[in-house]
Amino acid sequence: MSTTNTVTTTAVSVQNVRKVYQRDSIQIKVLDGINLEVQQGEFVALMGPSGSGKTTLLNLIAGIDRVTSGKVVVAGTDLTPLSEGELAKWRSRNIGFIFQFYNLIPVLNAVENVELPLLLTPLSGRERRERAMTALRIVGLEDRAKHYPRQLSGGQEQRVAIARAVVTDPTVLVADEPTGDLDHQSAEEILTLMETFNKEFHKTILMVTHDPRAAAKARIQHHLDKGVLSN
Amino acid sequence: MKFAPLILKHLRKNWIRTLSTVLAMAVCIFLICTLQTVVDAVNYGLHLGNASRLVTRHYVSLVFNLPNNYEAKIAAVTGVKNITIVTWFGGMYRGDLKYFFPNLAVEPEKFLAIYPEIMLPEDQKQAWFHDGRGCIIGRKLAEKWGWKVGDAFQLESFIPPYRVGKPFEFVIDGIYDTDLVKYPATDLTAMYFNYKYLYEATGEKTGVGTLTELIDDPSHAGAISKAIDAEFENSDTQTKTETEQQFIAGFVAMAGNLALLLNGIGLAVAFTILLVTANTMSIAVRERQQEIGVLKTLGFPSGLVMALILVEALLLGAMGGALGLLLAGGAIRVLPSVPYIGDVVRQFPGLGLSSRIVTYGLGTALLLGLLAGFVPALLAYRARITEVLRQL
Repeated sequence: MSTTNTVTTTAVSVQNVRKVYQRDSIQIKVLDGINLEVQQGEFVALMGPSGSGKTTLLNLIAGIDRVTSGKVVVAGTDLTPLSEGELAKWRSRNIGFIFQFYNLIPVLNAVENVELPLLLTPLSGRERRERAMTALRIVGLEDRAKHYPRQLSGGQEQRVAIARAVVTDPTVLVADEPTGDLDHQSAEEILTLMETFNKEFHKTILMVTHDPRAAAKARIQHHLDKGVLSN
Repeated sequence: MKFAPLILKHLRKNWIRTLSTVLAMAVCIFLICTLQTVVDAVNYGLHLGNASRLVTRHYVSLVFNLPNNYEAKIAAVTGVKNITIVTWFGGMYRGDLKYFFPNLAVEPEKFLAIYPEIMLPEDQKQAWFHDGRGCIIGRKLAEKWGWKVGDAFQLESFIPPYRVGKPFEFVIDGIYDTDLVKYPATDLTAMYFNYKYLYEATGEKTGVGTLTELIDDPSHAGAISKAIDAEFENSDTQTKTETEQQFIAGFVAMAGNLALLLNGIGLAVAFTILLVTANTMSIAVRERQQEIGVLKTLGFPSGLVMALILVEALLLGAMGGALGLLLAGGAIRVLPSVPYIGDVVRQFPGLGLSSRIVTYGLGTALLLGLLAGFVPALLAYRARITEVLRQL
């Protein structure tokens, strides 16, 4: 995992983005002319009430959804013209995604879950296992490598999910309510871990949260309300 | 290969579902392969009939006999080189059908001349020619009952005209073999005895079941058959003459229809299993919406996600197919020794799980797996990350 300091550059650039969902004959405007710049190495929190468009914005930045209009540039790549296949390839190299409900694969143990994104790389089986174990060591779960998700607590599952998100050394980490399903202490541990990745490994982090305490850990906070962004 | 653990762990997680699907597939392949083997064996027997031999029988049915004097009239037809009576005796050993083996009344000298596949040492031939109650038996029949030349046994027919109040007693004059390379269809479980014995024992009242003619040229079979049947066209007992192959086809219950029926059963079973497996795969994939969303988020291309599901379905098919083939192979090996069924099954010379049927069975299993997995895999391919993750 890279720990070298880099020159400050724009990691995420959201330019006049609109997102409209079509539900039957109804058009639902979710994002309305969003502009956002996130510099490399920043820890940004996106806050706002339910339905404000936080997760949609995060999905657009992570390349798992498409803008209706506007432009999203992440890690120097304009995502707008990319095909589904190109987006998938791009995500595997540039994005680490942390979900609210961890979303570990139940039939795989912790180290196999962490190894999952590495299956898309040309690494050998041994190299994949070594990297996955390193990621688990960083999140403090090396001794739980062979445990299955059902054998882990919520906090531990989320740490495994974080290890999975960082194992490919992505440019940007996106986290959607990473502490939303955790108790206070576990949430604190997760936020501390994310801070570590931001400060020590200079990972750019975008975190969607309802929790003001979680948002306080971020250096920059943005608020979304009815599809409009404010600082 | 690096994705194998993911696929295998899914199959292992719901092992009861996996096992039941594999067993259902196995039963399907077992049935298809067993039925196809029977069809092949029947067809094999048909194609091995001697093209130089014609069989003449009663026009209405095999149940009715022909008059004895027909033999001489047919022998006079141009193109007929030799002729013998072949009458199904229907004799039961120990008076019980479960000990059944084919037994037919023939004219020894003419029969051996027309059927070169029945191979006997010269001394045994001569003994049979001169022994009114003598018979010859196939090597397999002799081995089954431990019979030797000179042994005697009794048979009692279940056909009313041949039931004369007491069993027929026979003495074994010869044990015949064959050249299985040249004549693979030869039945080595049959017994042949002198028609004269049957004729006399029934008070010289019985007719002949069939007449087998050896003709001079197989290409004239059609013309000679017509000529024979024309000979009796205006008589009370009309005849039907056909090649030995056609006769066997009719004898084994219209082999064409049999194949259609058996293939129809196989197709129906395969279709049912397809629905069962498709349902299983759909449930399996529906339960894995979260995983599909996560894999795609991690950067797994949709094609790869689809392939993983298809491989899983193919694996189910392969396991079911392999198990089904093992069962079919075992059943086909065991069937000839099963009481009653074995007696029928042994009549089919080519009975065995051929490489063609193994390929057919395995191919069917894989195709069923592929078809069953296709729709769920396609749905997974099309699944949008934001939609599947939002449903959680």
